[in-house]
Amino acid sequence: MRLKITVTIALSLVILIFGMAVGSVYIPPADSLAIVWHKITGAAVPDFVKSTDVAIIWDLRLPRALLAFVVGAALSVSGAVMQSVLKNPLASSYTLGVSSGASLGAAIVIVCGVTVPALQMFTLPVIGFALGLGTILLAIAVSSRLDGNLENNTIILTGMVISLFINAVVTLVSALTREHIQRLIYWQMGSFQLKEWSTLYVLFPIILVCAFVVAHFNRELDMLTFGEEQAKTMGVNTKRVKWILLIVAAAMTGSAISFVGVIGFVDLVAPHIVRKIFGASHRYVIPMSAVLGGGFMVLCDLAARTLVPLQELPVGAVTAMIGAPFFTYIYFSRRKHP
Amino acid sequence: MLKVENVSVGYGGAPVVRNISFNLDKNENLCIIGPNGCGKTTLLKAIAGILPYSGSVELDGKPLRRMKIREITKKIAMLSQISGVYFSYSVFDTVMMGRYLHMRGSFFGSASERDRDFVSECLRAVDLESVADRGISELSGGQLQRVFFARALAQEPDVILLDEPTNHLDIKYQIELIEYLKEWSRAGGHRAVGVLHDINLAMRLSENMLLMKDGITAAEGRAGEQIDSGMLRDVYGVDVVGFMKQSLRRWDGM
Repeated sequence: MRLKITVTIALSLVILIFGMAVGSVYIPPADSLAIVWHKITGAAVPDFVKSTDVAIIWDLRLPRALLAFVVGAALSVSGAVMQSVLKNPLASSYTLGVSSGASLGAAIVIVCGVTVPALQMFTLPVIGFALGLGTILLAIAVSSRLDGNLENNTIILTGMVISLFINAVVTLVSALTREHIQRLIYWQMGSFQLKEWSTLYVLFPIILVCAFVVAHFNRELDMLTFGEEQAKTMGVNTKRVKWILLIVAAAMTGSAISFVGVIGFVDLVAPHIVRKIFGASHRYVIPMSAVLGGGFMVLCDLAARTLVPLQELPVGAVTAMIGAPFFTYIYFSRRKHP
Repeated sequence: MLKVENVSVGYGGAPVVRNISFNLDKNENLCIIGPNGCGKTTLLKAIAGILPYSGSVELDGKPLRRMKIREITKKIAMLSQISGVYFSYSVFDTVMMGRYLHMRGSFFGSASERDRDFVSECLRAVDLESVADRGISELSGGQLQRVFFARALAQEPDVILLDEPTNHLDIKYQIELIEYLKEWSRAGGHRAVGVLHDINLAMRLSENMLLMKDGITAAEGRAGEQIDSGMLRDVYGVDVVGFMKQSLRRWDGM
């Protein structure tokens, strides 16, 4: 187990370093690391490193790679929580309408062109986040009205109905305002383009706190996968724990996608792969989902900006194109030889 | 004393279980028998605190209604009928979940030496030490049932409620489970309440019986005294005692 964890973390770090080194200008990993080291410690940069390279690494690639890592980690942890709490391997924040809520928020901001003065560049993220969280709260509120025990199927069905409805509204808005359709569609495909340190400063603390809360509930998550009744007979206050976990998970997805747009698939794939490698125990699933999901996202972003020269692919499409075959391979190869 | 008084339970509509009462002293067991759908499982769930009920349940003088789910589950464990396994934990980790209430305190809830020892002890009790590191999805139904029983024991409860605990078990483990429970309650001042289909096993667990039909008590008391052949025939709609005797004659010839 210790070996597997070390290898996974090392692999993610290597990917992160390559995320800095590779791009339209190739900067050797050693130089990239020297630049980062220099910036952090204030030590002198070796003479052979060009000052443009320093700018590329420190102002563009490092914040971008770190942001991709944090977003990937957030989405994966959130996915792991949703799957376990709802006891459904296909559940994710999408199922509960977080993404469609955030899309609606983005659509409103883009179409109306509003900027809240106090929020400035964070107007879209904040409104996207608020509507994303609002959607899941609505889903939970409606399902608890329908069924006081918050049964999983009720939540999933309600979430999907609300999600489909809001998606229809978003489609309608895009269709009626053709001049904004391109920006909206791009937002819905997700991108780490043009992101600076400031985004990371806001997002990182949020995700870190949420991740700690989730990790705190690792045993409750274990027990919830046996169903609510069994969790209750072991002493879990299921209703309260479920509320907290669903909202924290939604907050993770909501805050992540409100900055970078909708990126799918990571939250579904990463936790499943982690469970195959590290077992189902959440004290491993949660941290390793973060590491693996983060590394995977950096890799996808790297692919998105380098595969086609001079053009950037939507990272959401890349995650699915790399993820789907990989997921199928892992899943079936493990199944044959248990 | 576990004191159940006039308990009625339902799922929203008309109650499925009506006005059930019984008392259970320390060191004693009770088996609840009756035909399918008579409300046995529903009654157990109410006592375990999973389903809301009317009436009162008291444990050693304390009404359960005033206790938090945490306090209840420290005293009462329930072994449910086994359901599907969604994610595969190791056998050891699964039994460790029973220690949940005993290991609050550390932020990420790590297990102490005592917890680990206790889990090993529970695994020894159900004869599963050798598969402690295996994933539960690789186990047979009977092994899984024993894992869940070990998990209930790991809770260190005063009362265990068992819903069809012998399903999936082969005859050796059926007998062992019943004998274990008898010893467990006799030696430790514990109590077991079992819902059992197999009337032979039920009688082996305890002479105290609660016979249910259509959500109400049909008879209560000791087999052979308060509960007789006629009552069983009425409740099950078949001559139970006659069938058992017929079976016995067949075994006699072996």
